[in-house]
Amino acid sequence: MNRQSLDNPSDPSLSRVDGAAKVTGTATYSAEYAIPGLVHAVLVTSTIAKGSITAIDSREADAVPGVLAVISHINAMTIPGWPPKKQPAERVPPGTAFRVFYDSLIYFDGQPVAMVIAATHEQAMHAASLVRVTYQQEPHRTHFEKNIAHSGIPLNVQRAKNSPFQDYERGDAAALRDAHVRIEAEYTIPTQHHQPLEPHAIIAVWEAEDKLTVYDKNQGVKSAQGQLAQAFKLPRENVQVVATYIGGAFGSGIRVWPHTMAAVMAAKQLKLPVKLVLGREQMFTSVGYRPYTKQKISIGAVKDGRLAGIVHEGTGQTSMYEEHLERTVLASRALYACPHVATRYRLLPLDVNTPTWMRGPGDATGMFALESAMDELAYALKADPLEFRLKNYAESDPERNLPWSAKSLRECYELGAEKIGWKNRLPEPRSVKRNGMLLGYGMASSLYGFHRHPSKARAIMQADGSVIVQSATMDIGPGTGTAMTRIAAKVLGLNAKKVRFDLGHSALPDAPGQNGSSTIPSVGSAVHVACEALKSKLVALAGEMPEGRKSGGQLVVRNGRIFSSQDDKEGISYADILKYHYLNELEVTEESKSGAERDQYSMYSFGCHFVEVEVNPLTGEVRVTRAVTCADVGAIINYQTARSQSIGGVVGGIGMALMEHSEMDHRFGRYVTTDFASYHIPVHADVPPIEVYYIDKPDMQANPIGSKGLGEIAIVGVAAAIANAVFHATGKRVRELPITPDKLI
Amino acid sequence: MDIDHDAIPPDVPDEDRRFFLKQSMFIAGLSMAPVDFLQAALAPDDGPVGNAVKVKLSLTVNGKRRRISIDPRMTLLDVLRENMGLTGTKKGCDFGQCGACTVHVDGRRTLSCLTFAVMQHGSKVTTIEGLSDGEKLHPLQEAFIKHDGLQCGYCTPGQVMSGVACIREGHAGSAAEVREYMSGNLCRCGAYPNIVDAILEVKKEGAKV
Amino acid sequence: MKPFQYLRPKTIAEAISMATDYPEAQYIAGGTNLVELMKRGIASPSKLIDINHLPLKKIEHRYDRLRIGALALNSDVAKHKSVLSRQPLLAQALLAGASGQLRNMATVGGNLLQRTRCSYFYDLALPCNKRKPGTGCGAEAGINRTHAIFFAGNGFGGNEKSSCIAVHPSDMCVALAALDTEVVINGTSGERRVPLKDFHRLSTLQPELDTNLQPGELVTAIEVTDNAFAQHSHYLKVRDRASYAFALVSVAAALQMDGGRIWDARMALGGVAHKPWRYWAIDLMLRGQAPSEKLFREVAEHEMQSARATTQNAFKIKLTSNAIVAALKAATGIS
Ligand SMILES: Cc1cc2nc3c(=O)[nH]c(=O)nc-3n(C[C@H](O)[C@H](O)[C@H](O)COP(=O)(O)OP(=O)(O)OC[C@H]3O[C@@H](n4cnc5c(N)ncnc54)[C@H](O)[C@@H]3O)c2cc1C
Ligand code: SF4
Ligand code: FES
Ligand code: FES
Repeated sequence: MNRQSLDNPSDPSLSRVDGAAKVTGTATYSAEYAIPGLVHAVLVTSTIAKGSITAIDSREADAVPGVLAVISHINAMTIPGWPPKKQPAERVPPGTAFRVFYDSLIYFDGQPVAMVIAATHEQAMHAASLVRVTYQQEPHRTHFEKNIAHSGIPLNVQRAKNSPFQDYERGDAAALRDAHVRIEAEYTIPTQHHQPLEPHAIIAVWEAEDKLTVYDKNQGVKSAQGQLAQAFKLPRENVQVVATYIGGAFGSGIRVWPHTMAAVMAAKQLKLPVKLVLGREQMFTSVGYRPYTKQKISIGAVKDGRLAGIVHEGTGQTSMYEEHLERTVLASRALYACPHVATRYRLLPLDVNTPTWMRGPGDATGMFALESAMDELAYALKADPLEFRLKNYAESDPERNLPWSAKSLRECYELGAEKIGWKNRLPEPRSVKRNGMLLGYGMASSLYGFHRHPSKARAIMQADGSVIVQSATMDIGPGTGTAMTRIAAKVLGLNAKKVRFDLGHSALPDAPGQNGSSTIPSVGSAVHVACEALKSKLVALAGEMPEGRKSGGQLVVRNGRIFSSQDDKEGISYADILKYHYLNELEVTEESKSGAERDQYSMYSFGCHFVEVEVNPLTGEVRVTRAVTCADVGAIINYQTARSQSIGGVVGGIGMALMEHSEMDHRFGRYVTTDFASYHIPVHADVPPIEVYYIDKPDMQANPIGSKGLGEIAIVGVAAAIANAVFHATGKRVRELPITPDKLI
Repeated sequence: MDIDHDAIPPDVPDEDRRFFLKQSMFIAGLSMAPVDFLQAALAPDDGPVGNAVKVKLSLTVNGKRRRISIDPRMTLLDVLRENMGLTGTKKGCDFGQCGACTVHVDGRRTLSCLTFAVMQHGSKVTTIEGLSDGEKLHPLQEAFIKHDGLQCGYCTPGQVMSGVACIREGHAGSAAEVREYMSGNLCRCGAYPNIVDAILEVKKEGAKV
Repeated sequence: MKPFQYLRPKTIAEAISMATDYPEAQYIAGGTNLVELMKRGIASPSKLIDINHLPLKKIEHRYDRLRIGALALNSDVAKHKSVLSRQPLLAQALLAGASGQLRNMATVGGNLLQRTRCSYFYDLALPCNKRKPGTGCGAEAGINRTHAIFFAGNGFGGNEKSSCIAVHPSDMCVALAALDTEVVINGTSGERRVPLKDFHRLSTLQPELDTNLQPGELVTAIEVTDNAFAQHSHYLKVRDRASYAFALVSVAAALQMDGGRIWDARMALGGVAHKPWRYWAIDLMLRGQAPSEKLFREVAEHEMQSARATTQNAFKIKLTSNAIVAALKAATGIS
C-alpha cells in the first residue's frame, strides 16, 4: 500500500459507500428514473456558426408517427424570468447567458435551434433529422490564431478594480532583463472537452402548474434550483432538483445549460414529463470546454539558479455573449519566490459557445506553461529541474505577503523524487534507451487555491442509534458520501455502517456545488460541526440520565457510547439516550464557513508529479510507463477514495498531454472531432501503474477537519511533467499540446 | 490459445430456423401486403415477426425469456434500458466507442448499442443485473469495490461485464494483457489501474467467474 | 433513423434474391459499422437483411488455402489455430483493431466493407463527395491530418467534385493485402472470385464506391493461399493512443528468410490510401538481400517518393517511412 499515514493506521479506509449500487447497476443516474408517461426529446442544432434562422420547416417531422411537438423560437413559451424579446432580434451584449429558443439569432455552431418531442426516442431521432432549418449566414470568427488581434482585457475585469485578473506586477522589470539566463517561449493548449462518460441528461416533470421536479445531471442541485426558480419565477421550494448519481462531470455540470432549460420548457408546454439526453456529438457544443489558450512566458534566473523574473501572459477564448475567466496566469505569482513577476490575462471572443471550468481550470492550463518554462530554464542553467525548484521555494506567499496556512511541498518533492528514483536520472536529454525506446523522466509542481464556501449539514440520530447525515452536496465521482460518512463516523465514534449520508437533492441543507475542490473543505467541515453539535446534545441528554448524573457531568464518548468515567465498563448507548428521553430522533443542523483566518494566511493545496515516459524513436509514440504523484492537501479523510482521485487526475493529465484535441474546421466554424473515435481520451492501455503519496498533515488553519481540496491538484501540472519527460527522452520540446507522434518524428 | 473452430457456438438456435415461411411465399407476400401477411401467418413464437413499425421477438435476458414487441430500430441497449427497466447497462456514446453498454450475448461480450434487438431474437443476454447471484455479488464486483475500481460509476457495469469476459476468454494473464483487452472500455474518471488490479486479483484467486 | 423492415434469410440464395429484389435493401452482419451509419442517417436502408443466420462462419484449411467464411467473427479468426499457425500476420492485424467487444461482433465480410472514418463523411452538415457525390471533399482543404498520402496515378484521384482523400480504416485488410487473398463473392449469376487487390477501389471518379462489389452481391468467404511467411511477419500499427484507435499508419510485413537472407517479401500499408496499399516494389528490392536497417531505410524511402501530402499530413510521409523500417526490423528480428 502506498499509504503514508492515516489518522489511525489500524483503521482501514472505508470502501465507497455506494460501491455496491454502482457495481450492480442499481445506482440511478439522471436519465434512468422510471417516470410514468415519459416522452422523449431530441435537439436539432445549428449547422452555421453565425447568422440567423430564416425558416424552420417541421412539416415532415410533424408527420412522423409519435411526434408530439417541434419546439423552436417560433413557438417556444415565454420564460417569465427572461427579458421580453426584441423585434427585430438583437445580439446580446457580452455577459448575457445564452437563452435557448429565444430568437432567431445564431451565436455558435451546434446551438440548439429546435427540439422534437415524441413518444419514443427512435421517433424523436428520426423526426429531428427531418426538421429543415434555413439560415441567413454571416461571416464568423472561430480561428483563435487568426483573430488574436481581437483579444483584450475582459470587460468584467475592466469594471472590477479588485479583480484578480487585473494586470499584475511586482518588483523591478530590470531584474528579468539582467538575468543571466532567460527563456522566452509560447505555449498553446487546444480546446479540450470534459466528455464525462455519462452524457448530460435531464428528466423534467411539472408536478403542478407551479411545481417543477428535475432529475438533471449537474454539479450543484442548489444553484440549479435557484436558477430554475428564477427563470420560471417560482418560489425556490417549488423547484426540486435531484442528482443523486452523476456519471462524471469535471466541470461540465457547474451551470444550468440551455438544454436543461429546453427540456423544462417542453415539459411545461406539453404538460408531460420530458426526457432529454444529449448525443455524444452534442456534448461538444452544449456543456462547455477547456478553452483554447495561448500563453507566453519570459522567465530568467541569475547564475546561482535563483529566479530573477517571470512574465506570464495568457489569452483564452470565450464566446461572443459571455466572458469566461480562468486562473491561467495566477499561479506564476504565488508558486515561486521570485522578486519580479508580471502577469497579463486577455480574452478573445469568438463565434463559439462559452467555455467553462474543466478539472484544474486555468491552473492546469497555466501550469503547463509555467512548469514547462521552469524545465526549459533548468536545462538552460544546466541545473537539475528539481533542485532548481527547491532553490526557488516560496517559504511564504510572495503575492500576498502572508504566511502559508501550511505547506509541505518540499516533502512532496522529496517523496516523489525518492519513489521515482530521480537521483539515478542521467541529466542529458536523449541519452537513455530501454528496449529500443527513448527513456525520459520529468516532473512538475502543482498548486490549487483553497476554496471553502458556507455549507450546512443536518445530523439526525435515529432511535436505533444509527445516524443520518444530510447536505445538498454532490458526488460526481470523488466519493463525497464515503468521505462524509467517515467524518461523521469519526466524530460520533460510530461504525461507518451506522451512518447514512444523503446528498444530491435540493431539499437537503444548503451546500455549494461540487467544484473548485471545495467539497471536503466546505461540506466536510459542516458535517464535522453538525456531528459535534449532535454529540454535545447527546452528552447533555446523557447527563440528565441517572447513569450520567453520577459522573457530575464529566462524560466521555467512546465507540458510539457515552461513559461516565474511564473505568465505566457499560456506558450509555445513543439508542439508550433517545429511548430514555422518549425521542424518536434527535436532529441538529449546523453551518460552517471561513472566518478571519482567510485574511491571515494564504491557503493552497500543493503537490507534484513525476513521470517516466518511453518514446518510440521511429514512430514518435509516447507512453507514460510510470507516474508518481504526491500531494499536500492537509488531512486525508479517506485514503482509498482520495487515492482514486489522484489517479484520475493523472489519467486526465495523460489525456491532456498526449491526445485530447477538439479540432474545428474553421471554414464552417464546426468541430469535426465529435465522438470518442476522433476525440481521444486515454484507454486502459495508455495508463501505467500510478503511485500516490500524501503528506497527510492536517492544516488546522484551513478548517476544523484540517483538510484542503484534492480533485484539481491531481491534474494540475501533469501535462507539464509529461512534456518535460518527453523532452528528456527525445531532446524535443513540445510547446503545443497534445504531444502526438507528428510532433516527435 | 488453441481453439478449434468446431468449438465456436453453433450459428443459430433451432427455433430461429423457422423464421419466415418459405422463400417464394415470403417474397410474393411481402411485396404486396407485408403487415397483414406476416402478422396473420405467424405466431409470435416463430421468430421476429412484423413490419417496419413493430416486430415481435423473444430474448432471454438474465435467464428469463421475454417476449417483446418493439420498433425494429431499437438497439438491444435501448430495449434493455427503456423497455425492460434494466438501466444498469449504460449508454455512453451510442456508437461503439466507449464500452459502457457491454453485455454478454450468448456468453460473448458485445456492445449492445451496435446491435438491433431484433437481430438478437433467440439470444441469451446477460446484463450487469444478472451477473450477481441474488444478493451475493460476483467475485469481480466484490473486487471492484475492494480495489475501488470505480469513481462516478457510469462506466462500471460495462467494465465489470467486460472484465468477466476478459478473464473467461483467458486474456487476464498479465497487467499488460488486461490493459490491452480492456481498452474497449473507457473510463473518464480514470479508475483504470484499480480496475486492472481487481481483474488480476480475481484471475489469480481462481474463483469461478 | 429511417424506419426499416427487418428480414432474416436462411439461405444464401434467399439473401441474394432479397437484396436484388429490393435495391434499397442492405445486408447487415455484425452491425458494428452499419448501425452507426444508420443512426447518423448516412445509410438508410428500408430493408435490412440480417445475414447472420447464413452458414458462413466456418474457418477451415483445405488443400493449399485457408478459407474463412464471411461471417466468421474477427475474434474467432484471430484465435483460430490454423490462422495462428499459417497466417499469424492476419491474427496480429485483427487483434490490433477495435476492441474485444467489437471483434466479437465484427465479421470478416463486414470488415472488408467497412467505410472510411473520415469525420466529414460522418457529419451530414459537412461536404463530402463520398457521402454525397458532387458536394466537394471537406477534408481536402480542411482537417486532413489522418488522410491519404497515396493516390491513383499521381493525382488526388479526381476533380474538385469527385475527389476523396479518405483512407480505408481496416487493419485486417492490410494483412490480407500483403498475403495472397481472394474474396469469394456470390450473386444472382453465381460465384466469382476477386483478388483482394482488386476488391477495394482507389478513389477516382466515383468516391462513393469503396469496392467493386456489385449491388446485391454477397461476400461469402475469403481465401488465403499458403505461404512461407509465418516465421517472419509483423503487423505494426501506429496510432494516437495505445489501443482502441484507428491507425495513423500501419504496416504489414511478410518475409521469407533463409540463411540470413530474405528470399521473398510482401508488404502492405494501411491508413495511407483509399484502399489497403500494396507496396509492390518491395519484393524485388529485398529479394536475396541480408536484412539491415540501411536496406530497410532505402526500401522505405523508395516507396515514399510517390507519396503526396495534403495540408496537414506531411508528417505521415516520414511516419510511414519510419514505420516500414520498424516493421521490417521486427519481422526480421534485427535490432
Ligand atoms: C469504435 C470502433 C473502433 C474500430 N476500430 C477498428 C480498428 O482499429 N481497426 C479495424 O480494422 N476496424 C475497426 N473498427 C471497424 C470494425 O472492424 C468494423 O466495423 C467491422 O469489421 C465491420 O464488420 P461488421 O460485421 O460489424 O459489419 P456491418 O456493420 O454489419 O457491415 C458493414 C458493411 O458491410 C456490408 N456487409 C457485411 N457483410 C457483408 C457480406 N458478407 N457481403 C456483402 N456485404 C456485407 C454491410 O451491408 C455494411 O455495408 C472499429 C469499429 C468501431 C465501431
Ligand atoms: S476525404 Fe472522402 S470521405 Fe472525407 S470528406 Fe473527402 S470525400 Fe468525403
Ligand atoms: S454506448 Fe455502446 S459503446 Fe458506447
Ligand atoms: S468511473 Fe466514471 S467513467 Fe469510469
